[in-house]
Order: sequence, then structure tokens, then C-alpha cells
Amino acid sequence: MTLMSSRTQSKPSNLTEAETELGFNLPSRRDEAWKWTDVRGAVHATARGLTRAGRPKFLLPDDLTVEEIIRDDLETDTPMAALARNFGDKVWEINVPDNYKGVIPVEIDGFESGHVRIRLILGKGATLSLIENHSGENGFSNIDVTIILKSGATLDRVIMHGDGDTQTRTLTTHVTQWGGSVFNQHTLSFGGALARLETRIAGMSKAIKSHVHGAYLLSGKRHTDMTSYIDLTAPDAVIRQSVKGVVTDTARGVFQGKFHVRRPAQHTDAEMRHDALMLSDRAEIRSKPELEIYADDVACAHGNTLGALDEQALFYMQQRGIPKDEARRLLTEAFVVDVFDDMKDEVLRESMRTKIRTWLEVNG
Amino acid sequence: MLKINNLTATVDAGRKTILDGLSLEVPAGEVHAIMGPNGAGKSTLSYVLTGREGYDVTKGSVDYLGEDLLDMDPEERAAKGLFLSFQYPLEIPGVPTMTFLKTALNAQRKARGEDDMGAPEFLKKSKAVAAELKMKADMLKRPLNVGFSGGEKKRMEIYQMMMLAPKFLIMDETDSGLDVDALRVVADGVNALRSPDRGMLVITHYQRLLDYIVPDKVHVLAGGKIAATGEADFAKTLEKEGYDAYV
Repeated sequence: MTLMSSRTQSKPSNLTEAETELGFNLPSRRDEAWKWTDVRGAVHATARGLTRAGRPKFLLPDDLTVEEIIRDDLETDTPMAALARNFGDKVWEINVPDNYKGVIPVEIDGFESGHVRIRLILGKGATLSLIENHSGENGFSNIDVTIILKSGATLDRVIMHGDGDTQTRTLTTHVTQWGGSVFNQHTLSFGGALARLETRIAGMSKAIKSHVHGAYLLSGKRHTDMTSYIDLTAPDAVIRQSVKGVVTDTARGVFQGKFHVRRPAQHTDAEMRHDALMLSDRAEIRSKPELEIYADDVACAHGNTLGALDEQALFYMQQRGIPKDEARRLLTEAFVVDVFDDMKDEVLRESMRTKIRTWLEVNG
Repeated sequence: MLKINNLTATVDAGRKTILDGLSLEVPAGEVHAIMGPNGAGKSTLSYVLTGREGYDVTKGSVDYLGEDLLDMDPEERAAKGLFLSFQYPLEIPGVPTMTFLKTALNAQRKARGEDDMGAPEFLKKSKAVAAELKMKADMLKRPLNVGFSGGEKKRMEIYQMMMLAPKFLIMDETDSGLDVDALRVVADGVNALRSPDRGMLVITHYQRLLDYIVPDKVHVLAGGKIAATGEADFAKTLEKEGYDAYV
């Protein structure tokens, strides 16, 4: 779907200073899809990169290149994509040839501030690993990523996110999956002043597989929103989603997940889970799992839990001599890490585990 | 070794008294059995001794190796050698058995001012204990107790007990869920730990376990206190005649 939208919107009366700078209405709690993640309230006029293009850094294997393409059209109607188009200058595009066998991963970082548009196209039967590092301070980052997986392509994507507590970030990913393609995503987020990591998948053809897993661990006043929308239009899709959250202090975790199973998407097999652990009474979890199903022969499930650590298990561990704090850390780590169990790259998986452990040593 | 004096404990914020002036002494080298009807406070006694939250001691004292046991955190009691084999061992998803036990063992050693046990020594010891208890090797690789049968969980308790080599053992209904063969294996493990400087408290419903782990004394716990005490064969009398005389 191509949607041309005008660069200037009709101006409402009370724009924030940042909105005036941008000439744009930022999503706010008045918008249903953003009701728990108020970008408008979080972005200051003084934020670094507010009206500038960002400069992502690409680390590529020798046989792949990034092209810088000027284009004005939009492939989506999401508000942040329009903003990225307005200020992102160009599209950073990587074309992966058919049947490419990725041995070395593509790494992207430099997402400290500013607006960035990235486009990644995997040709038929291509395989690739993508690792992204998102971190910054005192800035505003608005990253818009488009991923197209042609038939039989497989992408393993890992997103590491941890901002300073003065950074606002939106990362919106639009994935188009064609027949038999596989999209595996693992996200680990330690939050920021406000962060929304949104993944939108369109299953356009038969037998796609998508794993959209993630974990957020938030302390202080940090905020992470993991939102996803998976739109299935063809039969035999297999979708697995497990998101784990750990919040302490007055942090806030948001999970919004939606599976939209259209009438032709028969034999869809989809599972959505969100499980969150509250380590403090003042922390907050907001959760909205949704299934919208029009096909009649599908297996779709969702589960959502919110709780504290199991006191009985804690006592059991203490009785064996493990101090209570350490028992809490062990149980919390065990709770979180299983969303990364199916990662193929062992080194990467272990490095995520180490990051989680380090976080727990400080905050657990 | 363990001296319980006039112990009174309540639950539900003092609304319910479970232990009501219980006194009991277990000298080093002895095995004492505690029998009694359901609801007599047998499990409560094991939880109060090990320091579980939710139980308030309102009277009495417990002296363990010359120290005030009730003044210590649960992990401190464990480091000083107190071990409870749980009636219902907990499942700990995501934590492999070996990781769990190595963490526990080295936390205890650290608390006692001893050096960590290294991986090779730990593995060697674990292998020997597992063989003695006729345990399948894959049980130790799985997350602790997850998906184990009742009998497997009990065996895992004994495995942990033998690995941690505690000074004082409390076994809460260790025989439930075990068939006769498993019971014999478990009892052999427990009997191997009997020694002049170790004490044991065996809590059980049935006399059956005491055919294999022969106690020095048998106590009846009823109405929150020790209602009667006898020698090993007292268990058989209790099984035959029931607890009616004591409640």
C-alpha cells in the first residue's frame, strides 16, 4: 500500500514547542494506539536531533552495500513514519540478493538522535542476521524501518535498546512477509525516558513464520512500550510471540499486541503471551492483548499475566542457603531469559543474558 | 543439638495458634520421629524451625548448637547446617538443577567463611551421589523439579541433602509419593548420613518409613505439643491404635 500524505498538517491551536518546531502533531494519550505512551508530552523542543536527520552507522559484510536513496513516498500511514520522511532526508537501503547466505551479521548503530529511514529487502531464499543497537542521551530518535522478506527469505533480527533517562525514542518497523519467509525478532530493552518499539507485520502470502519475542527490564522512571500488530492475509501462518517484562521503582512497561487474522488466513497457528513481574508496588504495567479473527479454522491463543515473585520458591531457595536477594535475582533472570532460548546465535544469546544479569545486580 | 522449649507459634496474624507450648530435644547422633494426625502442626514445626515467613513465634525458644535459631534468617540457618526436605518440593522453572545446587552450596560455604567448591569437584561429587540414588543423569540437567513426578521430587530432595551434607535434617513426609523400591533407595541415602554429630527429625504420617529409617525416639505431636514419646516400636502401636488417645 502506498499512501501519499501532505507534508503539512492542519494546525491545531495548542501545539507544544516541539510540535511547533516540527510542524507536526506528535502522538499523544488522546490517540487510542498511543494512550499509554505520550510522545507529545515527552519530546522537548531542546531535544537533540528533533528536526534533524540521524546518522546511522552500518557495519556490513563485504558483499553487501547501503544505498542512500532520496524518496518522498510512504509505504505506511503511521504518524512516526511520516515524521521520519519529513526530516530523515533519505532512505538507507540494503538490498540482499536472492539466495544470499548471510554468515556475518549486518550491524547498525549510531541511532543516538534524529530521524532515520531504513529499508532492508531480502531476496528470495536469502538469509541474514541483523543486529541493532539503540541508545542515546538528551535526544529524540525516530527510526522508521521497512523490511521486505521475499519468498523463502529468513531474517534473524536482534534489537538491543537502552537509553539514558532523558532520551525519547520511537522505533517503528514495518515487515512485509511473502510466502514461506521467516522473521525472527528478539528485543531486549532497558527503557529510556520514553521508548516505543513497534513492530508491524503484514503476512502477504502462504506459510509465513514470525517469532516476535522481547523482554523489557525497567528501573527508575523508565518507560518502554512494546507494541505489535500482525496482519495475516494468507493461510498457514505460524506466529509466536512472547514478551516478558520486569519493572521496579516507578517504571512503566506497556505491551500492546494484536493479531489480525483475515478471512483467507485459514490454518493460522498463532500464540501471544505477555508476562510481567512487578518488583515494586509503585511500578506500572499496561497491557492490551487483542485477537481479531475472521477465519474460522485457526488456532489462536493469548495469555497475559502480571505478578510478583513466588514467595514459596524464594523460601525454598533460602532454605538451601541462597540469600534472599540472590534468590530473587536468579528467579527473575530465569523468568526473563526464556524468551531468548530460541536464538540461534549462542554468543549473542549469552551476551543478552549477561546484560540482564548486570541489570539485575544493580536493580534486582 | 536441637532444643525446643515451650514453643508457641501462630498464623493469620495471631488469629490461629498451631504450636502450643511444644518442647523437644534431639541430641546429636539421634534420629527422632514425629508422628501425629493431620493438622497437628507437623509441617508448621518444620517451617518455624527453618524460618519461613507467615509464622509468628509468640512464646518459647529454639537453641541450635548453642545459638538462638529463631534469631537467624532462613539462609543463615541453612549455612549452619539445617536442612528441610520439603513435603512438596517447589518447581523452579528456568533454573537448572546443577546451577541451583552449586549456587546454594557455594553460598553456604561463603557464609561459613569457606572457599567455593570448584566445578570439577562439584561435578564429581554430584555424579557419585546421583549414582548412589540411582538417578537419571538428565534429571540434573533439567530445571529444578520441573515436570518431575512426586517420587522424583523426593529423590531430588535427598540428592540435595547428600550434596549439602547438612548437620541437622528435617524430613517432612519424605515417604509420600515413593514406591517401595524408591523408599529403600532414599532410606539408604538417609542412613548413610547418620553419624554421631548429626541429628535428624523425621516427620511422617505412616509407620512404613520408620521400618527403613529406624528412629531412636518416636513422638506424637497433637494439639500443638508433644503428647507422648516412646521408643522405635511405639510407631507400630500408634499405627495400630491411632491417635485418638492423644487428641
